[in-house]
Amino acid sequence: MAVSATHVFRWDLDKTYLRTEFDTLRDLVKSALETAQDKQAYPGAAALLRSLRQSSEHRICLISGSPSQMRKVLAAKLALDGVEYDEFVLKNNLRNLSRLRLRALRAQVPYKLPALLESRLGLLGTPPETLFGDDAEADAIIYCLYADILSGVVSTGELQRVMEAARAYDDQAERTVALAERVRRGDCARRILIHLDRRSPTAGFAPFGRRLVPIYNYFQAALVLYGDRLLTAQQVLFVAREMLDSPEHEIPTLANSLQDLLRRGRLARSVALELSAELQEAAAGAADRDGRREAEGIAAAFHDRVRQLGGAPPIEWPEANPRLDYVALVDAEYQHRRGGRRRQRA
Amino acid sequence: MDAMGGDSAPDSIVRGAAEASLGLRDAEIILVGDAARIGKILPQVRHDGGRVRVHHASQVIHMDEKPSEAIAAKPDSSIAVAAGLVAAGEGEALVSAGNTGACVLACARRWKLLPGVRRAALAAVYPTELRRGEKNDPFSLLLDIGATIDASADDLVAFALMGAAYSKIISKNARPRVALLSNGTEAGKGPQPVVDAHALLLEATDVNFIGNVEGLDIPRGVADVIVCSGYVGNVVIKMLEGVSETVVALARYAYKEKLLWRAALMMLSSGIQRLKDLTDWEQYGGAPLLGFENLFIKAHGRSGPRALANAVRVADKALRSDLCGVISSGLAAFASRAQTRPTVPSATSA
Repeated sequence: MAVSATHVFRWDLDKTYLRTEFDTLRDLVKSALETAQDKQAYPGAAALLRSLRQSSEHRICLISGSPSQMRKVLAAKLALDGVEYDEFVLKNNLRNLSRLRLRALRAQVPYKLPALLESRLGLLGTPPETLFGDDAEADAIIYCLYADILSGVVSTGELQRVMEAARAYDDQAERTVALAERVRRGDCARRILIHLDRRSPTAGFAPFGRRLVPIYNYFQAALVLYGDRLLTAQQVLFVAREMLDSPEHEIPTLANSLQDLLRRGRLARSVALELSAELQEAAAGAADRDGRREAEGIAAAFHDRVRQLGGAPPIEWPEANPRLDYVALVDAEYQHRRGGRRRQRA
Repeated sequence: MDAMGGDSAPDSIVRGAAEASLGLRDAEIILVGDAARIGKILPQVRHDGGRVRVHHASQVIHMDEKPSEAIAAKPDSSIAVAAGLVAAGEGEALVSAGNTGACVLACARRWKLLPGVRRAALAAVYPTELRRGEKNDPFSLLLDIGATIDASADDLVAFALMGAAYSKIISKNARPRVALLSNGTEAGKGPQPVVDAHALLLEATDVNFIGNVEGLDIPRGVADVIVCSGYVGNVVIKMLEGVSETVVALARYAYKEKLLWRAALMMLSSGIQRLKDLTDWEQYGGAPLLGFENLFIKAHGRSGPRALANAVRVADKALRSDLCGVISSGLAAFASRAQTRPTVPSATSA
C-alpha cells in the first residue's frame, strides 16, 4: 500500500550515520562482531534524525549496504540513539553468496539504485527528497543518478548502459530499468548531502551541481536544511548541542563549519545572519542561564565568522544540475574499487 | 597563519594549513589573508572544514619590502592582522613564511615580552653532523639571528634559557648542550657580554652549558643550542647559507663541465639524496621567535605545503607543552639565583 509524506529523508548508515571502518577484511570482521553499544554514530547525526522525525509528515528511510544479518544489532543501535524510522533496507549478501553472485557482494549501484526506486514506488504522489550519503563509496553518483531518473533526464538506453558499466547481473539490470520506467517523474530529489568521512576535497563534487553539498559534519547538514526551510533555528541548536557534547566539537568548530559553507557558496550570508539573529532571540528566551549563555556564544561566533570573511564573494557554481555522464562515472567507480582491492591485496 | 607571506603564498600556505588541520585534535587554524583567494584554494585540498577558518586581510607585505615602512603603510596586511589576532587572544601562536623583518616587527609591536626578557630572539635551525634527542634530530638551534642587533650578558643568558627550553620540547632533547658562539673556546674569549654571559650561565642557571664554541663547531653539531647576538647570528646564518649555495653552484658547474665529473656526481646521487633527506629542513617546518608571551614560528620563504604543515605541528606541540610557561619558569629561576650570586668580575676580551 502506498504511503504519503511531505518530505522523504534517505540515509545511508555506514560512514554516513555510523562511524564504520570496512576498508580491510579485519575492519569488516570487527564491524560484524560489534554490539549495538560498541557502534558509534557521528556527533549530531542522531540529533538531526530526531529533529527531522519531529514532523509526522516526514518519512525516514534507511538504506545500507550492510548484510541483512546485521539488522538486529543496527536496529538496536538506532533504538539506543532514539532514532525512529519508517523503512530500513539492508543487503541480502547471504543470498548473493549462496547464488555465487560474488560481484554483487560489494557492488553498490546494482544494489542501491533499485532499492531506492522500489522505495520511491511505495510513495503516494511526488514528495521531495533529501538524501544522505558519504564519500567512501559511490553514494554521490547513485543519488544523482536516482535524482536524474526521477527528473526524467536519464533514458532507458542510458540506464541500461549504466547498469552494464556497473557490472550488474542481467536480472538486476532488468529489474532496475523496469522500476525506473514505473516511477513517477518529477524534480523531487532536491538535496544530496555527502558526509566527508575521508575528508575528500569538496571541489571534487562540483561536477555534481548545486543540489549536492559535501559536508564535514552534521552541523553543516543542519545548516543546509535550515537554509532549505526543513529545520528551525531551535532544531539547528539541538543538533549543535549534541555535537558540543562530543569531545570533537566546540563552538569555534561549529562556527568554522558555518564559515566553510559560506565560502563554498552553500549557505547564503543572509541565511547565516538570520540564523544568528534567531539564535540570539532563542537565547533571550531561554529559561536556564547555561542554555542562554551557550546560545548567545554560538550566535556571536556565527556573526563573527560572517564578519571575518570581509565580504569576500563565495565560490561561484557553474550550473544548477549539470548533465552527467553516468556510464563514465560508474565505470570509473568500478575501476577505482577494483584498483582498491588490488592495492589492499598488494 | 599568515596566508599571504612567502614565495608561493597563498597556495602553499593554504595547502600546508589544510594538511595540518587533518591531524589537529583540539586546535583550529586561522588563515589570515585574501579571503576570496583562500576560499578558492581550500576546496581543492583535503582538510577538516571545522578546524580551519579564514580571516580577511586586504593588504600584503611582500618579501622585498622594507619592513618598518611596510608595517607602517599597511595596517591591514596579513601579518599585522594575524599578530593582532594573537594579541587579542583569538590565536595563541603565529606561523608565517613571509618577510622576516616585517614578521618580527609585527610581533614586537603587538605582543608583550615575557617577564625577565628584555629582547626577543629569532632562531634558525642548521643541519649538523651529530644528532640529538629522542628524535635523533639533525638540526641545531642558533639564536639570535637578527631580531635585534646587540645583546647584553643577561640577554644572552635569556636566549640560552629560551633555546634550551625549545630544544627540550621540540627536539625531545632532555639535556640540550648549550654554547656561546665566540672567537675561541676559552672562557675569557670574546666581547664583554659574551664573557659575562659565560660566567652567568655557569653559575646561575641549570642549563647544560658546555662553554664557548667557534664557528666551525656549528656544522659539526658540538652544541644543540648556540647563542649569540643578533648581529653575529645574522652574519653567521647568511654565511652558512652562502656556503651551501656555493657548494650547489659548484656541483652544477662540475655536472656541466666534464663528462667524468658528471658520471661521478651521478654515482654519488643516491648518497646525496640520502644526505638531502636527512637534512631536509622541510621536516622541521620553521624556527621560533622566542621571548614573547605568544609563540611565533618563522617558516622559510620558500616553504612548500609540507614545511608549513610541519610548522603548524611545531607550534601546536609547543603550545601543548606550554613552551612559554616553561621559558618563564626558567627565567624566574635564573632571576632568583642571579640575585643571590656574587658579582661577576669583568674579564678582558681577547
